[in-house]
Amino acid sequence: MMAASSRGSRAVRGIFSSSPTICSRCATTRFYSAAAAAEIKASVTDAAPPPPTKSPYPYDIRSGLVLTRPPLLTRTLHPFENAYYFYQKRLEERLNTPFITSIYFKPDTAAQLDWSLKVQERGGTVAKELGTYHGKSSKAWDDELKVGDQLSSQESVLNSLLKDAAARVSDDAEVIAPEDVVPVERPVERLSEADKKNDVRRLDRQMERTLYLVVKGPDGWGFPADVLKDENLHEGAKRVMDQAAGVNMNTWLVGRVPVAHLVQEPVLGKSGEVQKKGQKTFFIKGRIMAGQADLKGNPFGYTDFKWLTREELEKELAPEYFRGVRNMMADR
Amino acid sequence: MASSTSITGLFSRLSLLSRNTTSTATATAAMTSTSTSRLFSTTSSSLARKAPPPAGGSAPKAVRRNRQAPKSENFFRIRTLRRNMFSPAPPPLRMARLRYLRHWTIHRAWQLFRRKQHEAIDKERSRMHAGMYNACEELRKTVGPGSRGEGYLYRVAMEKKGVYGLDGVPIEYARFQTDSPAKEAWNHEWKR
Repeated sequence: MMAASSRGSRAVRGIFSSSPTICSRCATTRFYSAAAAAEIKASVTDAAPPPPTKSPYPYDIRSGLVLTRPPLLTRTLHPFENAYYFYQKRLEERLNTPFITSIYFKPDTAAQLDWSLKVQERGGTVAKELGTYHGKSSKAWDDELKVGDQLSSQESVLNSLLKDAAARVSDDAEVIAPEDVVPVERPVERLSEADKKNDVRRLDRQMERTLYLVVKGPDGWGFPADVLKDENLHEGAKRVMDQAAGVNMNTWLVGRVPVAHLVQEPVLGKSGEVQKKGQKTFFIKGRIMAGQADLKGNPFGYTDFKWLTREELEKELAPEYFRGVRNMMADR
Repeated sequence: MASSTSITGLFSRLSLLSRNTTSTATATAAMTSTSTSRLFSTTSSSLARKAPPPAGGSAPKAVRRNRQAPKSENFFRIRTLRRNMFSPAPPPLRMARLRYLRHWTIHRAWQLFRRKQHEAIDKERSRMHAGMYNACEELRKTVGPGSRGEGYLYRVAMEKKGVYGLDGVPIEYARFQTDSPAKEAWNHEWKR
């Protein structure tokens, strides 16, 4: 009863060492590990007596798992954000102290030649992505872009950074001919192959969004869930995941707290007897970090799976089902 | 340039005064003092303080040799810093009226945009929290499983033992969100 692995109790133990029988926490808190024992002993004060067993509980308790793949990419910026950041950078060009070459480059080195060559090509502008603009000249007031100018877009920023990253002067301080300049490798596209083919089973689709694993069972699409068999919610969710989608996924259950629930009311007869048991489904949230679902040989009769975003789930799931689980889904 | 004109202007007024009151000799004296531009000092330049002769009476050659004393290894770095550290601060932004009005509009639009973002985030968080709260409330009223009493599952769910700690969060597998995906964006072939 002492909850020996708890750090807090270890710290408190010294304080309460004068009362040898029981610590204050144990006297007021019920632990799930001790609940069965408490029914027998009944020495613990407020352990509730077992409910009267006149009628069975009219609900099946089910534990489900919402397996999510977190976003892999940062969000696409709003065009207004791009424009605003560009505007602020040009204002900063007007306000900063001049870039002093001699601090950063030794004279007559390849790095210095490379830098001066690139700056010369940009028309003397030190910043890489701001176009030709001199914050200290008499034309410094002309810092606003015209409407429709694409200079502030992410694409043009990326292009200018890539152009600047390519080496233009060799180690021997000789200018490399334009046809011999090795361009820097472009980063991978944000839109993957799976996006172009709309392959909803792959996990590298919709990389800016959270994806949710849904499976197709006898009752249509839904999250994997099963009736609890004398186990806790998170143990049940783990078992459901392993049985339904295979063990070849690197996953992590975020917590033991359910994030969503669905209640299906029982069907009662005239005299209040249960004709059909209801269902209470509680969903635990999990994250996947590697691997792929595999439904082969699952005992629940699942035939298909998909990795979907929230908007796609709204079309796929039954409306009342989606209403029950939508609150746990992040905007992105 | 400006100082010299002001001095001549001052003395031209002074010479006007002197022309009115005294003889031309004082005027010429004033003109000579203008040429040396010594306004407040009356001592002649011949009496000005000179550098004292060297104590040992050594030749100027030795001084020159001292100047070429071995420089420290950081000499050039320090010289660069000393030359550039005290560069004048750039002037504050100056905007004309309409330009400033545009600046103000952009600023207000940005504030509004941020406000909407914050509100969206707040709303999202409270929505997710409400979902968890409702689920927990339902769980608290649930009996079971098996012979367990009411709220057993809820008490288990609230238990924090082992949730935190060094191996609580598997950060070794986590990945930051980046602007562009990895070359192999997702490892589909991962096996336990």
